[in-house]
Amino acid sequence: MKTGNEQRDTLAAPAGRRDWLAGGWALFWENPIGKIGLILMACFALMAAASFVPPLLDPMYHPMHGVDPEISHATGPSAAHWLGTDFIGRDILSQLLAGARIAFMVGLSAAFMSIFFGTLIGMISGYAGRFVDTLLMRIADMVMVMPTLLVVLILSSLFGQLRIWTIVLLIALFRWPGVSRVIRAQTLTLKHRPFIEAARVTGASHLRIIFRHIFPNVLPLALLYMTFRVTSAIIIEAALAFLGFGDPGTVSWGMMLQWVWKTGHMFQAPYWLLPPGICISLLTLSFYMLGRAMEEVLDPRLRKEGESE
Amino acid sequence: MEIRRYILGRLFQITLIFFVILTVLFLLFRLAPGDPVSRMVDPNMTPEDAQRLIEQLGLDLPMWQQYLIYLKNFLKGRFGISFHYGQPVSEIILNRLPNTILLFTSSIVLAAFVGVFLGKIVSWKKGERIDTWVTIGALVCHTLFLPWLALIIIWVFAYWIGWFPLTGMISAEIWTDPSAGLLRKGLDIAHHMALPLTTLFLIHFGSYLLVMRSSMLDTLREDYILTARAKGLDEATIRNRHAAPNAALPVITSVGLSLAFSINGGALTETVFTWPGLGRELVFAVSNNDYPLAQASFLLIAAVVLTANLVVDLIYAYLDPRIRY
Repeated sequence: MKTGNEQRDTLAAPAGRRDWLAGGWALFWENPIGKIGLILMACFALMAAASFVPPLLDPMYHPMHGVDPEISHATGPSAAHWLGTDFIGRDILSQLLAGARIAFMVGLSAAFMSIFFGTLIGMISGYAGRFVDTLLMRIADMVMVMPTLLVVLILSSLFGQLRIWTIVLLIALFRWPGVSRVIRAQTLTLKHRPFIEAARVTGASHLRIIFRHIFPNVLPLALLYMTFRVTSAIIIEAALAFLGFGDPGTVSWGMMLQWVWKTGHMFQAPYWLLPPGICISLLTLSFYMLGRAMEEVLDPRLRKEGESE
Repeated sequence: MEIRRYILGRLFQITLIFFVILTVLFLLFRLAPGDPVSRMVDPNMTPEDAQRLIEQLGLDLPMWQQYLIYLKNFLKGRFGISFHYGQPVSEIILNRLPNTILLFTSSIVLAAFVGVFLGKIVSWKKGERIDTWVTIGALVCHTLFLPWLALIIIWVFAYWIGWFPLTGMISAEIWTDPSAGLLRKGLDIAHHMALPLTTLFLIHFGSYLLVMRSSMLDTLREDYILTARAKGLDEATIRNRHAAPNAALPVITSVGLSLAFSINGGALTETVFTWPGLGRELVFAVSNNDYPLAQASFLLIAAVVLTANLVVDLIYAYLDPRIRY
C-alpha cells in the first residue's frame, strides 16, 4: 500500500522540480521588470522593518500618539523631523515607515486569503463540473461585477467603523472570482491528464486528487495571481482610509493622505502630500512588476517573446 | 439570429444579478445591528411624517411583507427621504446620474481609444527604446494611487498654474446668467471636467495599452499576417487593417472586466473634485449616516456597472462575428 502511494506521488510531482525552479529564477532575474520590482519591494520591506526603530529613539516619534512638544502645526523638513511633521506635530517619516508595515500586512494577508478562497473554489468548480461548477461560476460572475471599495463603504455605514482585519477579510471575500476562474480553467485541463486518471484508477479519493495532485500543479498560477491581488488590496485599503473609513487605530498611507486632504494642507505642505502617495504607487507598482515578470516565466509563449528581444 | 438569443441571455443574467444585489441589500439593512426603522426614517422628522413614511415603507410589518413592499417601492422608484437633503432620494440620485455617466463613459472611451492606438504603435516598435519607455510609463500610470494623482493634478493645474477651476462641475455665475447660451454652458462643464477626466484617463489608459500591446504581439504570429506579408502588403495596411481590429477584441474584454475597478475610481475622482455624481453622493451619504440615500446610490451605481457590462458585451458581440453568428 505504501509503495502504491509513493508511486502515485511521483506521478503527481515530476522529477526535477528544483531544476525547474532554478531555471525559472534565472529567467525571472534576467527580466529588468522583475529585477526592478523585486529591488523596489526589498526597499519597502526594509522600511517596514525600520518602522520599529523611531519610537524606540524617542516617544515623540511614535507614528500615532507621538507629538513633538515644540510643534503644534505642520512644519517642513528639519534635523529632528527629516520629512517634517503633520498638523499636530507628529513625525511624518515615522508615519511613513509604519505605513509600509501596514501596507505589507494588509496586502499580503488579504491577497493570501483571496487566493486561498479562489484556488479552493476554482479547483472544486473545475473538478466537480456540472451543477456545482455552474453554481460557483455564476456566484463568481456576480461577485466580480461588484465594486469592492463601494461595497466595503456601504458595509461600514451599516456596521460602523471597521477594524483593519475586518477590512482585510472583506477585501479577500470580494476579490476571489478572478483567481477562481483561472484556477478552474487550469483544473479543467489537468483533469483528463494521465496522472490524474492513474490516481483515480489506483483508488485515490476526490479530496486526495484535488489536494495532492491538482493543487501542486495550480500553485504557481495561484502565486502569480497573489501578486496582483496584493496590489488591489493595498489600493482598496488606502482608498478606504483616504475617504475616512479606515481603521482609526492604524497609521496607513491612505490615512496620512486623508489627514493632508481633510486638514486642507494639500497646497501648503508638499513634504506631507508627496511621500505617502509616492509610496503607495511604488509599492503597488513593485508587486505588479513582480507579477508580470512571473507571468513571463510561467507562460512559455510570453517567455519566447522575451528571449527574442 | 443567434445574437438575439445571446443578448436575451445576458439580459436575463444581469437582471438576476441585480435582483440578488437588491435582496442582499434589503437583508443587510434589516439585519445589521441597530434599529432598522431609525435607518430608514429621519430621527428629526415630525411623528406624523415619520408614521406616514413607516407605513409607506412597511416597516411595521413582518419581514416577508416588508420585502414585497420594498420590491414594489423599488419598481416605483420610492427610496424614502434623504436625512440630509430632506428630499425624496429618487430625485437626488436621478439628478446625479447623468453627471456620473458623462464622466465615466467619456473617460473610459477616451482611455480605450488612446490605449488601443498607442498599444498598436508600440507593438510595432517592439524592443526599441520607445516601446520600453511607453510600456514602463503605462505600468506607472496604471499603478498610480488615484486620489493622490487627483490631488497632485488639482495642485498643479488648478492651484499653481490656475488653468482650471479647483472643484465642482459648473460656475454659478454662468448658469444664473440668462444671456448665457448653450455653448457657453457646455464649455463651462468641459472646463470643469478637464481635470477629473484627465485623472481617470491616466489611470485607465495604461492597462488598455498593455493589453493591446500583448494582444498585437500574439496576433502578429498568426498565419493570416504571414499571408498578408506574402501578398506584399505594406506594413501600415497589415498593422491597421489586418492585425489591429482582431487584436483590439481583448481590450474590449478587459474594459468589461475592469468596470468595477473603474467605478471605484470614478467615485474617488468625483469625491476629490467634488463632481456632483453618484459616487460622491454615496461617499457623502455614508459619511453622514444618510442611509436611504446611501442605499439608493449604491443600487443605482450597481445598475450603472451592470448596464455598462451589457453594453461592453454588445459591442463585443457586434465586433466579433464568432459570437454574432
